[in-house]
Amino acid sequence: MSERTDVLQGTLALMILKTLQTMGPQHGYGIARRIEQVSEGALQLNQGTLYPALVKLEQQRWIKARWGTSDNNRKAKFYSLTPRGAQQLAAEESKWSRVASLVGRFLVEPAGEA
Amino acid sequence: MDALRRFWARMSEWRRQGSVENDLSAELQSHLDFLIEDHMRRGLSPADARRAAQMELGGLEQARALTRDARGFRLADALVSDARLAVRHLRRTPGFTVAALLILALGIGANTAIFSVVDAVMLRPLPYAEPDRLVAVWEVMSESLSAPGVAPQPAPEQRIAVAPANLADYAARVRSLTSVAAYTPVGANLTGAGPAERLLGEHVTANYFSTLGVSPALGRAFSPDENTAGRDRVAIISHALWQRRFAGTPDVIGKTMRLDETYEIVGVMPANFEALSQPGAIEAFSIWLPIVFDAESSSNRKGHIVQAVARLAPTATVAAASQELAAVSEAMAREFPELGTVRAALAPLRADQVSNVRTMLMVLLAAVGLVLLVACVNVAGLLMVRALSRRREMAVRFALGASRNRVVLEQVVQSLVLAAAGGAAGVLLGWATTRGLVAIAPASLPHIQHAGLDGRVLAFTVITVIITGLVFGAWPAMQAARIDPVDALKDGDRSVAGAWVVRRRGALLVGEVALSAVLLVGAILMIRSMMALERVDLGFNPDNVLAATVALPPTRYDTPEARLKFFESLEARLRQAPGVVDVAFGNRLPLRGDWISGMLIDGDPKYQQAGFQAVSPDYFKTFGIPLIGGRALAASDRHGSAGVALVNAAFSRTFLGGASPIGLVIRRGPAMPPITVVGVVGDVRRTGRNDATGTRAAEFTAQVYLPAAQTTLYPMHLRDVAVRVSPAAVGVPEAIRAAVTALDPDQPVTTIRTLDASLAIGAAQKRFQTFLFALFALVAFTLAVVGVYGVVAYGVSQRSAEIALRLTLGATKTGIVMNIIRRTAIMVVAGVAAGLVAALLSSTLLTSLLFEIAPTDPAAYVITAAGLLIAGVAAGGLAGLRATKVNPITALK
Repeated sequence: MSERTDVLQGTLALMILKTLQTMGPQHGYGIARRIEQVSEGALQLNQGTLYPALVKLEQQRWIKARWGTSDNNRKAKFYSLTPRGAQQLAAEESKWSRVASLVGRFLVEPAGEA
Repeated sequence: MDALRRFWARMSEWRRQGSVENDLSAELQSHLDFLIEDHMRRGLSPADARRAAQMELGGLEQARALTRDARGFRLADALVSDARLAVRHLRRTPGFTVAALLILALGIGANTAIFSVVDAVMLRPLPYAEPDRLVAVWEVMSESLSAPGVAPQPAPEQRIAVAPANLADYAARVRSLTSVAAYTPVGANLTGAGPAERLLGEHVTANYFSTLGVSPALGRAFSPDENTAGRDRVAIISHALWQRRFAGTPDVIGKTMRLDETYEIVGVMPANFEALSQPGAIEAFSIWLPIVFDAESSSNRKGHIVQAVARLAPTATVAAASQELAAVSEAMAREFPELGTVRAALAPLRADQVSNVRTMLMVLLAAVGLVLLVACVNVAGLLMVRALSRRREMAVRFALGASRNRVVLEQVVQSLVLAAAGGAAGVLLGWATTRGLVAIAPASLPHIQHAGLDGRVLAFTVITVIITGLVFGAWPAMQAARIDPVDALKDGDRSVAGAWVVRRRGALLVGEVALSAVLLVGAILMIRSMMALERVDLGFNPDNVLAATVALPPTRYDTPEARLKFFESLEARLRQAPGVVDVAFGNRLPLRGDWISGMLIDGDPKYQQAGFQAVSPDYFKTFGIPLIGGRALAASDRHGSAGVALVNAAFSRTFLGGASPIGLVIRRGPAMPPITVVGVVGDVRRTGRNDATGTRAAEFTAQVYLPAAQTTLYPMHLRDVAVRVSPAAVGVPEAIRAAVTALDPDQPVTTIRTLDASLAIGAAQKRFQTFLFALFALVAFTLAVVGVYGVVAYGVSQRSAEIALRLTLGATKTGIVMNIIRRTAIMVVAGVAAGLVAALLSSTLLTSLLFEIAPTDPAAYVITAAGLLIAGVAAGGLAGLRATKVNPITALK
């Protein structure tokens, strides 16, 4: 597939894992809402993006899914973070902040010495 | 790790694909419901809320497809649909499919059959406890080849039986062996209730059964004290004998049976117990008796009389045990000088049992593998031509963005589908072939009766199928990968691609011809071996002679005179039988064993060795052995008259430098009666045409023929009888039985067999290997010739326009055919040359399977080359001839 999706999926995975860590078990709709809110509407996830990502995370056994009932008594599939997923999240977070700070430094001092 | 985990998750999801799909629908639906609910909470009407939500989320179906892709069903789905597609394609071209399936079934079936034989004979565990811990122990003697005063030379080792005195020391001193047992075959007449029957069995030490780890199914094994004289009248019987003669009742234990002497039955072996004396032959052996070593055999280190089997100590390896035994043996040779060059050796029991058929089976397995390779090449060629017709379709798919891997994968899947179908047909063919092989197998292939289709053989076949599919699928896949959409879609490219296929197929063809040349050389070497074997002059005439063994029990016939009287009466009776022309008897007739004794030639103090036969006067007439000099034996040469003998020509060559032996006096020992040589007869190959190795004609050995009626001259027992019958005679075996029964109703007759049948048994293994090898070579040869025809015909069809043009411009048909033949010949010659070199390099593998023929025998190579060239060129010419029949108008349109 195209590069853009890969990058998006990489970051999307991180966002999903982080969401599940902070919010606890969530259904797909809840995850999408939360990401939308945190990004202040910048990220609108449609189903075709969200659910493939969830499937991949589940296959990695970073998250697990179980059918349950929501607050308003609606049947929904709830995703939660596995211990392995928590580890992965920690690793991804530190990697991400390393990359972000590195890239950030480049952007702050644009090619100064050259 | 992650990849693997995802793979397993996918696979398990794939299996419950339906439910996963439903699950996804439900989840997407619930997502939609949440959104609708949110919209309604913000004040939209239910209908508006639904519409808004649907617009926001976009295509449900698209989301579903994307999620499904993420699950990774794509590859598995693709494989399944490729397989379906392949089946559809194959059904659309029945001619091609049937041809390819036939070729594959032949190749895979033959491999399945040969492997099932190899598996049964060489690989399956023997029916004993922990069979891989059992070893055979034997002794070897290096014959001293050096004459006095000449430096000793390395001598070939000859395997001999074990002396019990030595075996006791090996058992005591070799710590790597926990249990050492001795056994030796024995025959006895079972008399009493029911017809007299000759039984085969074994004399064994008490630990024979415990060493093998098999206990009697009923009763007990022997105790060690039963290996002593006076206590040894106990017997263990086979399950079959128990059923046949003792009605299978448990109270058989404690009963007695009459085996020349009276024995108490103490045990019954399980139905599947195999005596070691003849591996795999469960039915043949039915009694086990305790072996008793008298004072002489317990102390005589030169009395090699028993076979031995041993179990390795728990931690010992075969190599360690072998080394230790060799060291012990060396130490014993220093301790007991009478051992001379005798040493002990051991080998795993299974390996030892199949040592004489191992090479044959390996060679057959290799040969059948070559046949499969030839089959693969043929099918690859067919597939390539077929793929060419789908070239344009593939190019379109590439142009539309299909991935190259995907299209190549499709080709591979198609090849595997074809291989699997061919394999299924091959399994059926293999099953039938295995039954046939078992039926024609020589007795020297132990356990072959168990050959059949089981899990192991099927696993082998499945692996063979996969490898086969990948091998012949490689070329079409390569071809698909090479397709350039632009070229392929252009007009007129067909001939370029066709040329590529013609070149590749030409290369494959050279390989195919080479492979079949290797097989043909082997087959011709074997056929020429068989012919050489048949040509060997036995020195006697085996046609229309029927022989039988009448083993008189020494207890009833306890004197030489009693035995002579029996056989003379039998001779008189048989003479009266219809169809009988001549009757002879003796101790051991030709093809029924031998008896060798030391002797002294008067005037020479040194002992010499010669074969000694006690024969009736008509022996030479019956066997067609010519008298060369002196006189024949006469009826008057009886007990009381002067001792006489005939010798053969080899005798005078060996001992007298070819001088006439008439008048020579020999003795079997210094105090023995003198025997005067009165005549010379022709040489015979007593043991059959080939020697023990099977690679050379048997030597003529020195023989002394004593008159059977001069019973004081010889110690051996009269045992065999033979009759020469008129060619149309029938019912002779029955007549022999009736004559014996009339003389003694308790006396069984065994091994009633024509000399030709005995010779056939001796040649059975050679015939088996020759038949199979020739069959394989024939298949490979046929496939190669068909392959040549196919390639040339295809090449010509690619050039049909060119040929038509040439014809129109005035070329002669002969010229065109000659041109095609020349091109074909180049390919065939290249293949033959490569094949002959390969055959020459691998031919030494066949050395031990050939008879009086060198593996480099030029005739085999010349015949192979000529055969392949003629057939190949003929096939090419035929294809060419068809090409000239084209109508120039249609071809040029």
